[in-house]
Amino acid sequence: MFGKRIDFAGAAGFVAFMAALPLVFGGNYLIGVLTVSVIYGIWAVSWDFMSGLTGRENFGHSLFIGVGAYTAGFLNTSFGFGGWWSLPAAMVMAMVFALVIGLPTLRLRGPYFALAMLSGAVIMQRLMLIFWEQTGGEEGINGIEPLIRSQLGFYYFALAALVLVTALLLALARSHWGLILRAIRGDEATCQAAGINVTFYKIASLLISAAFAGAGGAIYAHYQLQVSPQLFAVVTSITIITMVYVGGMASIYGPVGGAILLVLLTELLRNFGEWRLMIYSCTLILILFFLPNGLIAPTWRRLRSKLVRPG
Amino acid sequence: MSALLEVSGLNKHFGGLHALRNVSFSIAPGEIVGILGPNGAGKTTLYNLLTGFIPPDSGSVVFNGRTLRGLAPYRIAGLGISRTFQLCRPFGGMSVFENVVVGGLGARRSARADLAARALALLTQVGLGGKDQLQVESLSYGDQRRLEIARALAAKPALLLLDEPFAGLGSGEIADLSALIRGVHTEQGLTVMLIEHKLHEFMRLVGRVIALDFGDVIAAGTPEDIVRHPAVIEAYIGRGDAQEHAGAA
Repeated sequence: MFGKRIDFAGAAGFVAFMAALPLVFGGNYLIGVLTVSVIYGIWAVSWDFMSGLTGRENFGHSLFIGVGAYTAGFLNTSFGFGGWWSLPAAMVMAMVFALVIGLPTLRLRGPYFALAMLSGAVIMQRLMLIFWEQTGGEEGINGIEPLIRSQLGFYYFALAALVLVTALLLALARSHWGLILRAIRGDEATCQAAGINVTFYKIASLLISAAFAGAGGAIYAHYQLQVSPQLFAVVTSITIITMVYVGGMASIYGPVGGAILLVLLTELLRNFGEWRLMIYSCTLILILFFLPNGLIAPTWRRLRSKLVRPG
Repeated sequence: MSALLEVSGLNKHFGGLHALRNVSFSIAPGEIVGILGPNGAGKTTLYNLLTGFIPPDSGSVVFNGRTLRGLAPYRIAGLGISRTFQLCRPFGGMSVFENVVVGGLGARRSARADLAARALALLTQVGLGGKDQLQVESLSYGDQRRLEIARALAAKPALLLLDEPFAGLGSGEIADLSALIRGVHTEQGLTVMLIEHKLHEFMRLVGRVIALDFGDVIAAGTPEDIVRHPAVIEAYIGRGDAQEHAGAA
């Protein structure tokens, strides 16, 4: 009971900190960086829910992000729908893609799902260029309307979305649903012997993961006010996986910290010019080498156990 | 009384290997039946066919009046057949308690009432009381076997299939585990099948034995009859040796 209160206090403290940052330091540059970090948080959390819990790694999360963003772009510019329609539409479209890829590949063991996601993202990136007349090619879609005019207001909206998605997925991960996903990671055959429809749980979890990644993609589209094929890039998926590792796999809340930390680190290193990638990579290697379970979630667990049992 | 499990004409090939040949038997409710056979006799293949993990080439399995042909393993488990595996397969990275709860999550909704309380009770019953919050990886091999049984029982099965539950255990642990199996059998009227290739403790536990060798049912009967059955002796000791034994006797 006390432990739960500490979790809640920790979450509240984190949200208050994130909300206060732009008020204390100000400046549109910082607000922009924080907005991007929060959107990456949504992507990392949604990746962790499916892949972190079940152990079925998704190497193409950018597929759902790109599909969500382009859905927002098309709806808003070509069809003239208001910006808020983007969110539900992006979620549905991402789920359709998740179903198409998950249905045939998640039944199988082996690397088929990971490879199908990876190639799905690569193929979509190419298709955006091949059908340039519809998609705008390399330029993408421009002139997307902002959801909220004030930059600070939009940041708070994105932060609220992150909190909502994290709270939802955390509740689901700590329910029997999450227990089943972790059991699937442990041993699929034993799950089946226990009467659990393993394929259903994997596909349904991928749909949930895709829906939130797509929503994050739509939010990103309305932040950048344009979308480009670069959204489907493999490097985005790999960055998200790295954020989850740094945050602490399968903890759901850890990847939020991992995402914010890595986005901020990237920005801090801008002054280092050509050394930037070198320092970034070395930091990552050091974190993953010395903290194979990640940085954020294990640190919080240690802190929490000290608070629950002082001394 | 009608049979709980009715197996008729079950066949399975793996390439040129005849894993099971025309296997037929039936099991009445409340029995404890042993499946005996040397390594490679087809015992685990039989379990895999009964639980839907691999499809038979031909033959039928009827459980509680319902044919199991073409049903996925989770559907068969949902009908009331629970199994353990020859090599312990606990859910890694989870606590002992969580392992048992997962065992009950696939059961019918009515069987899932107060699952948490029942999981704790099951752990006490199998002798793992007080170890519920441990990580499964920290359990000894014998305790993992007990956990397997608790996990299988969490689904409230009508038929429990145990695959070499005594493998790798010491004699003290085997006696404890036999008492446990006998306990759930008598208390809950549970029908139990167990695979074993050692005769020892097994013979005192089961009421009836079905002996397999190279995929064939070579004998069936009471444990006393089975140990004297010439085909069983031959399968275990070998033809030449059996004749020598007969000659010496």
